[in-house]
Amino acid sequence: MAYFLELLVNGALVGLMYSLAALGFVLIYKSSGVPNLAQGALVMMAAYAAWAMVDFGLPLWAAVIAAAALMFAFGLLVERVLLRPMVGQPVIMVVMLTLGLEILLRGLVPGLLGAAPKPLDIGIGLAPVIVGDVFMNRAYLVGGVVAVVLIGASMLFFRTRLGTKLRAVSDDHVASWAVGLSVERAIAISWGIAGIAAVGAGVLWGSVQGVDWTLSSLLFPAVAVVILGGIDSIKGVFVGGLAVGILGSVIPGYLDAYAGGSTRDVVTSLIILLTIMIRPYGIFGREDIERI
Amino acid sequence: MPGLALSSVEVVYDKVFLAIKGVSLEVGEGEMVALLGSNGAGKSTTLKAVSGLLGPERGDVTRGTITWDGTDLLRMGAPDRVGRGIVHVLEGRRVFGHLTPDENLVAAYSGRRGSQPFDALRDQVYEYFPRLKERAKSKAGYLSGGEQQMLAIGRALMTEPRLIMLDEPSLGLAPVLVEEIFGIIRHINAERKLTVLLVEQNAAATLRIVDRAYLIENGQIVMSGEAATLAKNPDVQEFYLGGGGKVDYHAVKHYRRRKRWLA
Repeated sequence: MAYFLELLVNGALVGLMYSLAALGFVLIYKSSGVPNLAQGALVMMAAYAAWAMVDFGLPLWAAVIAAAALMFAFGLLVERVLLRPMVGQPVIMVVMLTLGLEILLRGLVPGLLGAAPKPLDIGIGLAPVIVGDVFMNRAYLVGGVVAVVLIGASMLFFRTRLGTKLRAVSDDHVASWAVGLSVERAIAISWGIAGIAAVGAGVLWGSVQGVDWTLSSLLFPAVAVVILGGIDSIKGVFVGGLAVGILGSVIPGYLDAYAGGSTRDVVTSLIILLTIMIRPYGIFGREDIERI
Repeated sequence: MPGLALSSVEVVYDKVFLAIKGVSLEVGEGEMVALLGSNGAGKSTTLKAVSGLLGPERGDVTRGTITWDGTDLLRMGAPDRVGRGIVHVLEGRRVFGHLTPDENLVAAYSGRRGSQPFDALRDQVYEYFPRLKERAKSKAGYLSGGEQQMLAIGRALMTEPRLIMLDEPSLGLAPVLVEEIFGIIRHINAERKLTVLLVEQNAAATLRIVDRAYLIENGQIVMSGEAATLAKNPDVQEFYLGGGGKVDYHAVKHYRRRKRWLA
């Protein structure tokens, strides 16, 4: 029983850290209607940025702020250079573009800054937190708390005037132009904010597994989270993250012994597959409203 | 007569398809003018040329000028034109379906310097369209067609326009609703001196409320004048108003009557 509880709690915390990586995906989709397959590379790049700042001699808090500023600027740049020429084009072109960006950054950033794993110490001890019989990973605990805070902040953001405008833009680009909303600016802001969210994910995951290109493979669980939770729902990121984390921890916890390991990726793939077959818009995702 | 002026405007889609061929029209400050025509005549294209929404459909103004109060509009992007007081209510309503009506109004409110406070504008919209207030908290996508049209107009009013362009507000609505919405448009035009450019297929209802009208066919203006004069024109009656009165079947000719303005 203690074993099950341990898998459950740690799985939930890991899941929340997946949510953190998935948050940028949802932020962009919810505010501009663009599926962002470069999210994994954004997380990796954010981790590299934070590591480079610490390496440069900045204290951790300053490094995080500097990385956030840098990633915000990078988000704006992506919109200006890559996405603006795509306005009015079919969405599949934007999907392929973000996928290309992901692949480019996966090669480019480690190529420039070094591909060997780099430690990113954020001052979290290695000793586990023990509650009753359950051992909890201290880094995951911090990550889970940060994830909850950032998810809550995003929910509040979409209730503000700016957030409402961004949601309007994701709903209908032409109608947004017609009432004077700048679609280009909305997309730029959403990429900037997603860049900032990537810093949270990048720093926490970087501290857990070191900073190298493998951070960008967080894209896979992140996509599972958004597909399960609903591609435009912040609530869905939270619930989807918990579900993907728990299932991806409990099931391998019992099956890996028989299957010889790596059943976690199988579970993640099955989550994506089953969600798309049974409920394509996810748990909380919006259905497209059609009136007859 | 300051206001909106189009002068021999040509619009080409996809660099090959000539959709409107030298359209010239004027809408004076505070006037209510209709642009009438059948499907595919170029009515919506004309409006999009004014509001700057041709880009996403790969259309382009290749000739002519469009000015608003003497300033050239063609150099500006769509949001800047809204900033200048021109707003376009799109065909098919296009409300933000996943937002509530209240949020639709928030999204359209610019909040730039010198604009009225949000609450004042919103109260005014709800005064014109009390039905929207009752449904302010449900998703706009689930409103009825008439309510969505009201919301689309209300949303446009949040931008504090001086010229409102309405693209077929009667589309798919019951005649009694058309009557109601046209009444409100007329009321807003009279009360706030708001300039209105109304695009319609429903010529009968439109000619009753506008001051002047233009008739567009195959991308060209074929007739224009006071609404009352146009309504009396026998060709307009035959082709747009469904003929006048009883038909004497002994006198029916077995060939189609030719439109007199086609040379």
